[in-house]
This record gives sequence, structure tokens and C-alpha cells, in this order.
Amino acid sequence: MSLKKFSELFGDLDSINSTNNKIEVLKRYFLSNEPIDNSWAIYLLTGKSNKRFISGRYLKNLFSQIYEYPQWLIDTCYLKVGDSAEVITLLLKNKTTSKDKKLSNISLNQLLSKTIPALSKLNEEDKNLEIKNLWETLPEDNHLIFNKILTGTFRVGVSIGLITKSISKLINIDEEIISHRLMGNFEPSIDSYEFLINKNINPKELNSKPFPFLLANTIEDKIFKDSINDFQFEWKYDGIRMQLIKRSGNVSLWTRGQELVNESFPELVEKMSHIKDNFVLDGELLVWNFKEQIAFDFSLLQKRINRKSPTRSIQIKYPIIFIAYDLLEINGRDIREIKLENRRIELEKYFSKWQDKTENNISDIFKICDLIFPKNWPDALTYRKKSRENNTEGLIIKKKTSIYSSGRKKGIWWKYKVDPMQLDAVLIYAKGGSGRRAGLYTDYSFALWKEQELIKFASAYSGLTNIEIKELDKWIRKNTIEKFGPVRSLKPEMVFEISFEKIQISKRHKSGIAVRFPRITRWRKDKKINDADSLENAYELMKKIS
Amino acid sequence: MRTKQEYLIRYKDGNLYCELADIWIDPSMPVKKALITHAHFDHFTFGCEEYITTKETAILIKERVGDNIKIKTFEYGEEFKINGIKISFHPSGHILGSSQIRFIFAEEKWLISGDFKLQKDETCKQYEILKTDYLISECTFGLPIFKWDETNKIANDISKWITNSPEKTSLLFCYSLGKAQRLLNEISKTNFKGNIYSHGSIHKMNNSYKKLGINIKETIKIENKKKIDELKGSLILLPPSLSKGSYLKNFKNIQTAFASGWMSIRALRKRSGYDKGFAISDHADWDGILKVVKMSEAKNVFFHHGDSEALSKYLVEKESINVLLFGK
Repeated sequence: MSLKKFSELFGDLDSINSTNNKIEVLKRYFLSNEPIDNSWAIYLLTGKSNKRFISGRYLKNLFSQIYEYPQWLIDTCYLKVGDSAEVITLLLKNKTTSKDKKLSNISLNQLLSKTIPALSKLNEEDKNLEIKNLWETLPEDNHLIFNKILTGTFRVGVSIGLITKSISKLINIDEEIISHRLMGNFEPSIDSYEFLINKNINPKELNSKPFPFLLANTIEDKIFKDSINDFQFEWKYDGIRMQLIKRSGNVSLWTRGQELVNESFPELVEKMSHIKDNFVLDGELLVWNFKEQIAFDFSLLQKRINRKSPTRSIQIKYPIIFIAYDLLEINGRDIREIKLENRRIELEKYFSKWQDKTENNISDIFKICDLIFPKNWPDALTYRKKSRENNTEGLIIKKKTSIYSSGRKKGIWWKYKVDPMQLDAVLIYAKGGSGRRAGLYTDYSFALWKEQELIKFASAYSGLTNIEIKELDKWIRKNTIEKFGPVRSLKPEMVFEISFEKIQISKRHKSGIAVRFPRITRWRKDKKINDADSLENAYELMKKIS
Repeated sequence: MRTKQEYLIRYKDGNLYCELADIWIDPSMPVKKALITHAHFDHFTFGCEEYITTKETAILIKERVGDNIKIKTFEYGEEFKINGIKISFHPSGHILGSSQIRFIFAEEKWLISGDFKLQKDETCKQYEILKTDYLISECTFGLPIFKWDETNKIANDISKWITNSPEKTSLLFCYSLGKAQRLLNEISKTNFKGNIYSHGSIHKMNNSYKKLGINIKETIKIENKKKIDELKGSLILLPPSLSKGSYLKNFKNIQTAFASGWMSIRALRKRSGYDKGFAISDHADWDGILKVVKMSEAKNVFFHHGDSEALSKYLVEKESINVLLFGK
């Protein structure tokens, strides 16, 4: 099956606005292509990997060199087009002599599993020759896909939810199951695709995989009309959301970003593996102040996040705890469909059972979250205000009768943050600093989502430590897409929590909003760009405050 | 080098002007005497005392604005003299009746390309290659990222776009004069055999083309009260001015597309608000402009319409052609 089909799919998805039509197009594609190509297609479309093999700048230089094209002309074209891969694709229409050459009918699988990996192993000269050869032998329709994959800029308006929906429709199986099958690592292979579209649901199939996470919505006024007794109240911890899974004796730690992080927290894996029961717990991982029984600041947790196999001294210096707030599965029994209040009873029951085992003291690394019991809504407000004192972000309010469904379903879980003037945004531009910060990229611009597009909404200069600035500067230099004078546009990859004092409508900004005193309050390495907030979230925030 | 006053044709008040003949080319304000390259409204303005153009252009203009104007017409290639300057119209391949205008005075040839394309288009005469000393060329798509696909490929893409969504009504937006007729001509050669409707403004131009002997596929004039079911799976041609506003509420379950050279760029496509873009243009692409510049053997080239900076620099650097700037 040729790459051409995938190029067509890309073209269709790029030009269709309706979700239903996108699903139809995807279904049609999956039905008419080989499992291995489908597997790669899903891999690309869900953004499971967007590795950059060569930079846009390199591609433009190479084109200029091969076809004796003035660099300034390519740069002028770039200003019009705004994407290196596309500029080169358009320019190639003028240059490739593919009409005379035998065209290669390469498949998506071949391209991604052989051609491109082989390319990155070549020395520069051979690599250049090979790219030229590919440009001239690949059919013109495939150039955009090829260049985009090469430069790691493949993006199209398809969410993981959309892929989930189309596969669910394709084989007539619940979205939840598909969503579950898509969790975690997805290695493109015939097996992984066939597992995905298997009509028989084997309860063991998902053994190592987490359940799709249930996410909380920002609170809406209407809930204050409901009885306070309908809800369970918890502190909103400021750590890493995680599912702690023990199945068939094996423990795995999955973050919300679908990363397996066993290696970063070996002491937790060790302790939990001694428990006899099998289970899936939903909770929060924190660096814990055991003396005062409150969480340490998130910045301490950052010392642990990206460090694999931490030494004993690191483990002691930054002691972690897993605070469970939900039990989703116990000894092979999926209990997500039973009411929260009953799941809580189970959670408490098992927790006390596990604690009883004196030979295996888990209390230094595991606990269940305390509940709070406000008498009425004003009382809840008082609790929320107190949350800063115990290093939490506010309250999480959960409907007692709710089941554990997936995604951000409204009306099940609410977050009631103490300081709502915060949004998680994606770093998209950086500019060199001046004075003390000269030579470092220290002026940053951040964007929020508007559908599939990232729209700039704020610039910030402060908030990072000097060490973080250096680290980010290094990253910026490696992940520049384009340079415009002193400004670099960056690969959208890094998420930051931006805090500000005021938010208001602004006609002068593309985003339609302006914020006052924006500053970086946290580098959210635990978040993927899809977890960043949208402009819609910003508007909601604005409504709430006014 | 001559000063700009000494050129036979120069810019005056933002328009091309020949002082010796006291005549303007496609002026944007009322003047005494105007040469008109073609019937698009950005090249024609009301209120001139006299217009001079081709027979076809004159008919199209009158169809659009009425008979109450004074137009003198000439055949392609027919020479006439004003104050000793020989002037003639030659096909430019842009739309029906469109022309380049040549001036010859004192052994010196000047050629104004008008809007032009080299691509084949059965609804108008093919661009005529002429040699000249001075060339004034349009430069709408003066960057190498613009490279038009074969017209039949685009027509087939349009056909596929319609037939792939048989439950929808496909609205294709295009300029009502020229582009619409060219599209109709090309689409009639594809596998799409469904009904084609056109907006009144397009329908009118179709009829004019037919009167001038151009074979245009029959379309149904779209009425506001058409039944939705009847339109399913059919194609409707509409002018771009109707794409934003309440007009679209007349239809249900639609898909929209815009036929324009600008649609070759993804960012512009996305920003345009149409579901899809078809990159088809009645202007020359980068290669087309270069070809005309080279084949004209002009030693001096001026550009107007569009951003010519890159193209000028390229010609000077790569082709050693003298590119002059008009003082606007």
C-alpha cells in the first residue's frame, strides 16, 4: 500500500472540518490499508512521536545547495508559507525531474521503519544524496508528508479521541475499550494494530495498561445549588497524577501523560509489590514532608521526575509518597462502574488491611487521601482558602454517586482552585535576553490551544531559576524550528504554568485576551502539549472572575 | 539611463500612462482615454470619456455595466495609431477578450502584459509570445512556491471532491467572470455528471461567453428557494463575495471550496475559512512569468501588480536582466 494513500488521508483530514466526516475518512483508510501501515498512521496521527530527524533550516540549506537556489529566495518564500517542510515541497514542484525517473512506490511502513531510520545513520554527504534521491523518486503527492516527517512537524487536526472514535466505529466496540487499548506506549506493528481492532475483548489484554484517566472540570456556579451532601471533598494535591497498577504481581506506575515511570520511583514499586492483592489505584505522587504531613513544593518533585534510577541519597533527600484517592480495580475485578462512595469504602477497607501487615510497613510511602467535610458551601469556601497552608491547590469536589468514566466528562469531578489565575501554556517562541541574561534565551512567548492551533497569549520573562534557564536555553537551541532575527520559533513541546494578576478581553491580540504581569510559576515537565489549556479555558476563567 | 519622465510609458497617479498619446492603461479613475486589457472590475472603472479595447472585452463590459459607455474596439493584432504611436492588442490568455497591449514608437517596442497565463484554457485565446524592448509585466504570483498543476488534474480533484460526498451540496466559490467559465469547461470533461448550478452573476457571464461562441456547459441558475434534496450531490458555483454572510443559510449540509492560486499555500487555505482550496489561477505562476520575460527578449522589465521584489532580484542576479522600478 503506497504512501500516496496516507498523503491523501492527510489532505482529507486537513480539509475536513466535521468530526463525523473525519471519522468516516479514517474508517475508510483503515479498511483499505495494510495493518502495518494503519499502525504507523495511528502512531503519526496521535502524535505518539514527533521525532525530528533533520531541522527545517537544514532542509532549506540542502535544497539551496542541490538546486543552486539563492538562500534569500527560499527565506522570502518561507515568510509567505510559514513552514519549512511545505516551502520545500512547493519549491520541489519546480525542480524535481521525477517524470523521467522510475518512481518508488514506497509504503508508509517502509518509509518510517526503514528509509528514514537508515537515513539518520548516514554521514552528512550520503544523507544529502539520499534525501535528494528520495525527493526525485517519491511521487510529488508524497513530498509534503515526507518533508514533514523528516522535520518532525507532522501535525494534523486529529485528536487521540477522534482516532479512538473511528476505531470504535470500525469494529463496533466501546470507545472506552479502544481508549484503554491506546493508553501507554504504542509501538507501531502489525500486532499492535490487530490488538487495537480485535473484536474479542480479553480481560487480560490490558494487563499492563492504565485505565483512561477521569479528569476534573473547572468548577461552575451551578453546583452550588446542589446539596453539599451529594459530594465528596478532597484537597487538590499539586503533584503528578498517576495510576498505580499491580496486576499479576507486577507493579507499574503510569502518569497521565501515559508514561511509564517505574524507573524514577523504584522505592514505591518495591514497597507496593509486597502487597498480596492486585489493584489499580488512581492518585497523586508527591514529595512529602513527613514531619508536618504536607506536600513539599512541586519544584522538589521536579528533582525526581526526570531522574531515572535515583540514588539512595536522592530518595532520602526527596522522599516521595503516593496518595491514593480512588480504587478502580481490585484482584481482577473492574469496579469503575460502582459509585464513588462505595469505591471509597473499598479503598479504605483495603488500605487498613494493607497497613495491618506489620512486616511490610507501607505508611512511609503510601496513604489514601483524607476527606474534608464542609458543612455547607460557604464552609467549603473557607476550606479552599486554607489550602495554601497545606500546600494544596484548592479542592477537588466529586459527585458521590459518580462512576469512573474517562476523559473530562462534565459534572463528575470539579476542581476548585485557590488561585484560579493560572493557565498551562505551551512555549512557542524565545528571544535572547539582554544585560545579565545576554546570550541566553530568556524572553518567552506562550500559547494556548484554539482547536488544533496554538495561539500566542502571553510573554513572560521571569519565574525560572538560573539552572532552569540554562537548561531551557540548551533545549531551545536544539529545538528551534525557525529563526526570525533574534526570535526563534520552537517545537511545541514544553508546557509551563503561567500565573497572572488580571485577565481581560483585548482586541489587539490575536488570542482576544490580555493578561497582566504574566510570569512562569512552574515548568510542567510532567505535562504534554495536549494537556495545556485552551483559549476557551481562558475565557471561562475570565467569566468566573468578573 | 533615462529619467522616468522620458519613458514612453510610466506611472502617473498610480496608473500606467502614455503621455505622448495622452492615454491611460486600465486606469483606476475617470480619464479622457483608456485602454482596457480585460473586463475584470479591478481593471475597468466608470466615467472615462472613451474606452478602447478588444471586441470581446467590450461586449463583456457592456454586459456588466450597460450600454451607456463609449467603447472603440479592435481585433487582436489590428494596429491603430495615436499621435504617431502604433498600438495593438494581443491575446494574454487570462480570460475571454483579455489582452496584452503593444506600443511601437520610434523603433522602440513596449509591451504591457496585462493579466496573463500560459496554461491552456479553452475559453479564451492562448497567450501570444511577442518580442519587445520594454516589458511591463504583472507579478501577482511572483514567487517560486507558485507552480500550477495541470488544469485537468485540478478539475479531477474537484470532481472527486463532489462525488466523494454525495449527500452534500458542494459550493465552489470562484470569480464570476473567467474563472467560473474555465472551471465549467474543465469540469465537463471529468467524471462528474451531476447537476451544476450557478449564481445569477455567473450565469449571466456564461451566457455572454456563449454568445461570443465559447462552448460552456449548461448550468441551472440557482434560485433561493431550491429544495435541499434536489441539491444533494450537485455543484453550485458562487462568487466569493457570498462566502461570508447569510447567503449560505439557504443551503443545508454543504461543503465549501475556493478556486484560487492562493490556495496552494496551506496557511492561506486554513485562514480562508473554506473547507477546501483548489489552486487554479488565471495568472501566470513563477515559471510562467520567467518564461514570458525571457521569450520577450526584453532588455528592460518593469513589474506591477503584486510583490515583485524577489522576482526582480532574481532576474538581476540570475538572468542579468535589467529590472527597473516604477516610481509610483
